[in-house]
Amino acid sequence: MTTLISTSTSAFYERSVQDMTSLRKQAEALQASLGSNQKLSRSSDDPVAASRLRVLTRADKLANIDETNANRATADLTLTDSALSSFATFITRARELATQAATGTLTPTQRSTIGVELDQIYGNLVTLANARDSAGHALFGGESAGDAYQLDASGNAVYIGTASSGELPISEGQTVQRGLTGPEFLNFDAGGGPTNLLAVVKDLATALQSGPDPQGSANASLTALGKGLEAVTTGQTLVGSRLSWIDLTTERRTNLGELRADEQEQIGAPDIGATIAQMQQLMVVLEASQAGFTKLAGLSLFNKIG
Amino acid sequence: MASDLMSIAKSGARTARIALDVTAQNIANASSEGYVRRSVLLKEVSSSGGVGRVGDVSLSGSRLDQIVRNADLFRQAEVRRTGSDSSRATAEVAGLENVEAALEQANVYNAVVQFEGSLQQLASNPVDPSLRASVVEDARTMTGTLNIAASSLDAAGNGLRFEATDGVSQVNLLANELARVNLRLARAADSSSDQTSLLDQRDSLLQKLSDYVDVTTTIAGDHTVEVRMGGASGPALVSLGAASPLAMTTAVNGTISFDVGGTAVTPTGGALAGKSLALEKLADVKGKLDTIANTIISVVNTAQANGAALDGTTGGAMFSGSGAAGITLAFQDGKLIATAPAGAGANSRDPGNLSAMRTAFAAADPAGKTDSLIFDISSTVAGRTITRDALVSIAGAASVALAAQAGVDLDNEAVNLMRYQQAFQASGRVMQVASDLFDTLLGIR
Repeated sequence: MTTLISTSTSAFYERSVQDMTSLRKQAEALQASLGSNQKLSRSSDDPVAASRLRVLTRADKLANIDETNANRATADLTLTDSALSSFATFITRARELATQAATGTLTPTQRSTIGVELDQIYGNLVTLANARDSAGHALFGGESAGDAYQLDASGNAVYIGTASSGELPISEGQTVQRGLTGPEFLNFDAGGGPTNLLAVVKDLATALQSGPDPQGSANASLTALGKGLEAVTTGQTLVGSRLSWIDLTTERRTNLGELRADEQEQIGAPDIGATIAQMQQLMVVLEASQAGFTKLAGLSLFNKIG
Repeated sequence: MASDLMSIAKSGARTARIALDVTAQNIANASSEGYVRRSVLLKEVSSSGGVGRVGDVSLSGSRLDQIVRNADLFRQAEVRRTGSDSSRATAEVAGLENVEAALEQANVYNAVVQFEGSLQQLASNPVDPSLRASVVEDARTMTGTLNIAASSLDAAGNGLRFEATDGVSQVNLLANELARVNLRLARAADSSSDQTSLLDQRDSLLQKLSDYVDVTTTIAGDHTVEVRMGGASGPALVSLGAASPLAMTTAVNGTISFDVGGTAVTPTGGALAGKSLALEKLADVKGKLDTIANTIISVVNTAQANGAALDGTTGGAMFSGSGAAGITLAFQDGKLIATAPAGAGANSRDPGNLSAMRTAFAAADPAGKTDSLIFDISSTVAGRTITRDALVSIAGAASVALAAQAGVDLDNEAVNLMRYQQAFQASGRVMQVASDLFDTLLGIR
């Protein structure tokens, strides 16, 4: 707004138009920010805030994917956990059977029957060891493309998966092992050497049905089965702690997400109250200047000269 | 020489008539563009007595001395200078805003982030065909947005160059017109109404010229003007009756340069200078966008070559072409993404190479670079907008100041109308008195 003492008619009109247009433009900008709930209509309105908003949007997008990954890891680990419980049930049953077989009062036929049941349990254990995860891959096969265990010519289960299960990124650089491989909880040391649960059960079943000393074998297997149960429970503990790690990162991610949303709101969204008040003020000024313009424009000396 | 009451009254009536004419002309042109208010300068006609007639009363009424054109050379020069600055800034901001919109509305940043995200998602299950397909689709979107950004930038550049070409022809038109006005001014009689209207034309042409380029003017004694471009030592655009042609040259990278009659010149103001600056920034932005596209191509393709596709073969290039305009997706089949390390065999779930690709992608950070590029151009726009607003308001103030001094004030003219009407009536009354006096003499008997 420029004020001049002496003024020409065209300058007066030009200036009035300039001032009122500028007021109108400001009011429209405020209305646009209210209407879109965006303080910035383009980056150049506030380059720093716009850049910050872009970074926040990117973090949001990647956090969403982290969340999907974390959900998938949780699903896989929960499946692992329930499979491990089944393993524990079977081992307990096998121990009961072994204890029975170890008693001297049983006849060889009865021991042989127990051997048959143990064969069934072995079959179940192998199937369980080849269980599938949420994506249809071998749950205990690490990053194997097919099954985790395969039966060789003599019926022994052989691990064919990879050495470790894959890691999944779950939050800004944090990862979690998505599962356990078979050997991680089925292999243990017993009787002075490494062995695995599947072999122990299979050997016991064979020994009870056709071994030279079924009662002695049953007796010997009790320790090994105990160790096997221990290994499975250790595995469950591991899974539990990984699940709680995921919970922890999920909580952190949620908190960060809230902080981000808060910041986005602060940077990107207009303060409705302040904006409306500002707009009201502009409208009052605009109306006053329009009224003033009409009055001044009607003030011509030619009307007075008769 | 004796006085003659009748002829004094006659001269008074005549000058009042002329003053009324000028007033009417002012009123009629109250809103004419470039019209400068005229006023009349009246002088008394009288002569001092000659030898032996010292005591004589010798009065001959009034005459029109000159029609004054109320133009202030300094204010006019200010309007040209500030107007030139403001049109430079306005043209530059408009050009830069187009560049910003081209980059921002193509959504390059979001597309790059989306691609990054889909690679991260693929890590959860590298053999999943739908996740692989989504990586391919996001890669396609990314190449598409880069292509759109490049072509929008080209379109913005073409628009700017088209306007600059038009500006150059306008400048040449105005310069030739100014040269003709110069010739006629050199011949016009001083203070004639012909001269004043030529001066109006001269000033209005100069002002129009200053919208396109910066002008340094030298006004000669006969009111002709010499116009130089690019500062006081620049080449002469108009020199008396001759105008040198302004020409524009477009470089390979799309920037433009100017010459006047073969002498290279850099305009420091006016719309042409603004467009030239905007085109320079555009070339810079385009180069940076090409670098980002090339980084994406080389990072992803290198990682692909180091790994094995789902069928166990060595991974092939995912992107072909070069630059933001040329980048294209080289394959459509998600199976060809090399997630496994080299030699991993078919259907491998090993995400070794995918992690390597993600690490390399994160290290090259094309998303971050896109963000800085948008930040770069948008902060340039924001900065220039502030400068422009300042220059526009300075130019507005200068032109209002000129208009207030040179423009027509209707109230003032209304007063003049009454004043000169009364003067005319009074002169008529004087004639009446002269006639009465004559009758009185005749009536003596």
